[in-house]
Amino acid sequence: MKKELKFKVNGQPYDLFVKPKTLLSEVLRDELGLTGTKRGCNSSSCGACTVMLNGMSVKSCSVLALQANGSEVVTVEGLAKGNKLSPLQRAFLDHGSYQCGFCTPGMLMSSTALLTENPKPTKEEIKEGIDGNICRCTGYNSIIRAVTAVVKGEYKEAK
Amino acid sequence: MIHDFEYFAPKTLKEALALLDKYQDDCKVICGGQSLLVLMRQGLVAPPYMIDIKGISELSYIKDEKDGLKIGAITTHRAIEKSAVIKKKYPVLAKMETRLASIQTRNWGTIGGNVCHGDPAGDPMPVLIALGATMTMTGSKGKRSMPAEDFSLDYFETALEPGELLTEISLPPVPAKTGSAYYKFNVIESDLATLSVAATVTLGAGDGVCQDIRIALGASAPTPIRPKKAEAILKGKKITDALLAQAGEAAVTEADPISDIYASEEYRRELIKVLVPRMTREAMARAKKA
Amino acid sequence: MTSKFSVIGQRVHNVDGTEKVTGSAKYTFDVVLPNMLYGKVLRSPHPHAKILKIDTSKAKKLIGVKAVVTGKDTLGHKQGIWRRFPELCDEEILCREKVRYIGDPVAAVAAIDEDTAEEALDLIEVEYDLLPAVFDPLEAIKEDAPQIHDGVELNININRHIEWGDVDEAFKKCDYIREDQFKCSSQAHVCMETHDAVASFGHNGKLTVWTSSQSSYYIQRLYADMLDMRESDIRVMNRHTGGGFGSKFELDSAQFCSAILSQKLCQPVKIVLSREEEFTATKRRTPMYYFLKLGAKKDGTMLAKEARVITEGGAYTAMGATALYLTGFFSSFPYKYPNYRYDGYRVYTNTAVTSAMRGFGAPQSTFVGESQIDMMADDLGIDPIEIRRKNGMTPNYEVPGQAFIQSCGLHQCLDKIEEHIKKQDKLPANHGIGVSAYGFMSGGIFNWFNTPYAFSAAVVRINIDGKVDLYTGACDIGQGSNTTLSMICAEELGIKLEDVRIFSGDTGICPPDLGAWGSRETLMNGNAVKRAAADAKSQIMEFAAAKMGVNIVYDLDIKDGRIHLVDRPERGVSYYDIVKEAIRGKDGVAIMGRGHYTPHRKGMISPAYSFGVQAAEVAVDVETGRYKLVNVTTAHESGTVVNPLGIEGQLEGAIMMAGGYGFCEDQPMDDGKILNPSIADYKLIRSLDMPETDILEIDTYEPEGPFGAKEAGEGLTNPTAGAIGNAIYKAVGVRINDLPITPEKVFKALREKEKNKKAK
Repeated sequence: MKKELKFKVNGQPYDLFVKPKTLLSEVLRDELGLTGTKRGCNSSSCGACTVMLNGMSVKSCSVLALQANGSEVVTVEGLAKGNKLSPLQRAFLDHGSYQCGFCTPGMLMSSTALLTENPKPTKEEIKEGIDGNICRCTGYNSIIRAVTAVVKGEYKEAK
Repeated sequence: MIHDFEYFAPKTLKEALALLDKYQDDCKVICGGQSLLVLMRQGLVAPPYMIDIKGISELSYIKDEKDGLKIGAITTHRAIEKSAVIKKKYPVLAKMETRLASIQTRNWGTIGGNVCHGDPAGDPMPVLIALGATMTMTGSKGKRSMPAEDFSLDYFETALEPGELLTEISLPPVPAKTGSAYYKFNVIESDLATLSVAATVTLGAGDGVCQDIRIALGASAPTPIRPKKAEAILKGKKITDALLAQAGEAAVTEADPISDIYASEEYRRELIKVLVPRMTREAMARAKKA
Repeated sequence: MTSKFSVIGQRVHNVDGTEKVTGSAKYTFDVVLPNMLYGKVLRSPHPHAKILKIDTSKAKKLIGVKAVVTGKDTLGHKQGIWRRFPELCDEEILCREKVRYIGDPVAAVAAIDEDTAEEALDLIEVEYDLLPAVFDPLEAIKEDAPQIHDGVELNININRHIEWGDVDEAFKKCDYIREDQFKCSSQAHVCMETHDAVASFGHNGKLTVWTSSQSSYYIQRLYADMLDMRESDIRVMNRHTGGGFGSKFELDSAQFCSAILSQKLCQPVKIVLSREEEFTATKRRTPMYYFLKLGAKKDGTMLAKEARVITEGGAYTAMGATALYLTGFFSSFPYKYPNYRYDGYRVYTNTAVTSAMRGFGAPQSTFVGESQIDMMADDLGIDPIEIRRKNGMTPNYEVPGQAFIQSCGLHQCLDKIEEHIKKQDKLPANHGIGVSAYGFMSGGIFNWFNTPYAFSAAVVRINIDGKVDLYTGACDIGQGSNTTLSMICAEELGIKLEDVRIFSGDTGICPPDLGAWGSRETLMNGNAVKRAAADAKSQIMEFAAAKMGVNIVYDLDIKDGRIHLVDRPERGVSYYDIVKEAIRGKDGVAIMGRGHYTPHRKGMISPAYSFGVQAAEVAVDVETGRYKLVNVTTAHESGTVVNPLGIEGQLEGAIMMAGGYGFCEDQPMDDGKILNPSIADYKLIRSLDMPETDILEIDTYEPEGPFGAKEAGEGLTNPTAGAIGNAIYKAVGVRINDLPITPEKVFKALREKEKNKKAK
């Protein structure tokens, strides 16, 4: 029997009815059409589905949609303000911190969550912050450089 | 493929226990779901009823009390990792959490969920055993407690009875001159343990005598184990390299590791021989400073 | 120092960067069409069996199921990528009579949603007659082994021989000879986006396919072969693709089964392989048994090398034949062997098919060759850099009878790495730095696919506003070809990168290109793009020359949107104005330029080769054998660097993949069943495991490449496993000859060494 799910996604409130087995990743992609969040594995291991739930990074394939009831979710689509990209997004562009781009939304969400919690992480903490996200293309170091540049204040929040 | 289920999200422990009594074997408890959802996606588990205890706030706490530290069972790994009191008084627990799994898993997964899953390679149990933790379970009939080392019964099987939830993990106050250490052997940093060793050493006043010792091994047997013979070799003695080596050999005889694609049984045994002395030394070094 | 280029060599954002960082890039994974169904594939649980009967009746009755197909619903054709040799086109995809590996497809279902499709799979009843199976090529090649393909004796799928000089004579003249055996493991591509396709047959019998692919043209042609259709009635569109690494230019089960289902229903059918299917039922790197014999003079001059290889083919040929050849060819790289002999056998086994994976046989040959040359250096008391210097290839070297190497920066790379190593502080105990050198091709020449088309082609259209539409069949799979090719186009035309819009990988509108594999896009497609841009440019220049009325001796060029005299750059006109005039002059037709490239008279292997040297530092825990990758520094040369941000990314990404090949990635099997088919169990380097990486660029220029450029993405996958192995030897004095180099192997070797020491 479907149950009610009331939550906010990227600041927008939604009121849906979902089957209890629905995963948060499924409701975001299939119900709300927010396909930025990807699915890369069946074993909660790759991090491509990472979103922010009440300010924390979580793997949306491993959270039941109903567990997000009453919560605030941010996906990659919620990072830019209109056409103004977030500092991390701009840093990723400048540092070439993506190639095929499939893991990129998850990487951005993990990095955003990291900096939301701790605006001045050490290099080790940055590595830890994205350790739950597999990237098969970049070898991670360009992502670490991009996050480091944001930490150093090279990118300001767009107005 | 995950099979659908009826879903309940009780807000109190009392409600949750009532639901457990009602649905018994037909229900599963979900909290962080970091282990359960993997099993469900693989079709290994398909309960018709799901009781989600993530919202039971009375079960999420870290309380530093006179008789020790009390951790609510649904406290997340991340909360434990970042807790100031845990970092100060039980740093090995916080450190273990930092490499338990990815931050995403630690943000949502809970310590109770992890230990109730009963994976012998799980990180928390060896540390909890080495810290002398007590596990408290609650059912509609009441509470009961047991030492952490008695909680795991077999692969993925714990002492929880039907109708019971793990509600609290408590740690005794740390005696003076006590230090703990934990090492997880794997190839990829934040991966599951291929083998793990935790040790707590309490030194006697002044002369480097090991007054008390607790050792725990993970991924070495169907459950985490406390190699008591190894402990007996060291307890009450002045620790030397020779004794540590003996303890390592003894621990090997008490372990029952398997061969799998990550390591052979023989290699796991060799690792025990190396890591038991190594962690004991590390715990001793911390005890000296404490 | 100002660059002579305006666009080439600049650190630019990828042209699809904004889409990717905002999550708006659409992959096949995201495609949803009206009236679309979801498909799933039923696969054999047995490694070798006859199919006696398939009963799909129960599955068809399940509510929500729209169609169930088996091999009998296909034309029964076999396909393969070595189309020049029909006997090597041995894969039906949907098996009719026999299954040959665990995962071989036998049926497929289309339903209203994925869950229903999956439920339906459980209702399909297949009766098998189990056959004896064989999993190791050394066993499969024996007389009494089960025969996997009819008429194929000893399961030998294909063999290759490469030879020059007289190896046997040469060995007699050597002061020192080494013989070593190695075992190279498999490796999974682990693309973040699994294989997927949305196939849509219209009622008019034409097929449109959205798919994650490295070569839309190959997929189109293979569909045509399998469905007996005209190529032109099939349109294959490569969306943004979440990784390829060699796994996505052959027709796969997601593509084929979705098409068969769609053909039956005239509705779009989407199939997305699960991660488990990705590990077990797509292709993988070729495991190899390597036997090497190396002979040298005592001063380290190599006189002869002999390589004998048996590869585990898996159930079908696929691209395994190319890997067999290339491993033998690159076993001679990057050194000048006066005498060389290679014999390779690819042997069918009842395991998942081994085919193309980044490096294509060269990571294997580089691991074994670089390990052995270090061993030789150690035996002779020669420095590892010195022995490589003594024998290393140089520019304008002919690999006797095989290939001609024009540009080659190997020696500069050796110098840089030697300098890097000398600069290091004294290493702590149990740390070591190991070196590995490589050379790799920029696209293959041998036309085993049997295409009648030019290998690469491009069309450039200049519109009234001076902006350019670039059409190319090249597929961007993350390696950045959209950006690199747009940069080449912009540079040639003298306009800004933002003025180029690229349409790629769509067979409906782009000219054919063989695809993104074998490191061919920058050189081959780059040349096609440059020529197309030059063709369009020449048409504009006609008008510019007429308009400017300059003396006939003067040349014109375009730079930064301005057409000017080369000798008097202050005299010029706006490119944008001339474009308008040129279009009017052509009776209102947009300027179209065409270009193509097929390497002619460049040998049979590749028109150009890149080189590099890598140094890896490891730190070993001698009590447990566990080791950490501390730093990987690479000196490499890839001709003119078109897209520097792209190359850095390729290099660091290659280290993750190649490092993984040496360090932790493996696919252990039990009776043909892969034991770790999940990202949780298949170990991959993550950010906490990634070493520090440093890049030392060497400047070279490749005459064959556009603006002097050649490959950078694949060659870099070659050296790391060897560098790791050599580093471990330097650190703790043990050598591991079989991949991956696990802590347990290091531990056992250390114990053995200790035991031997005590025995003395």
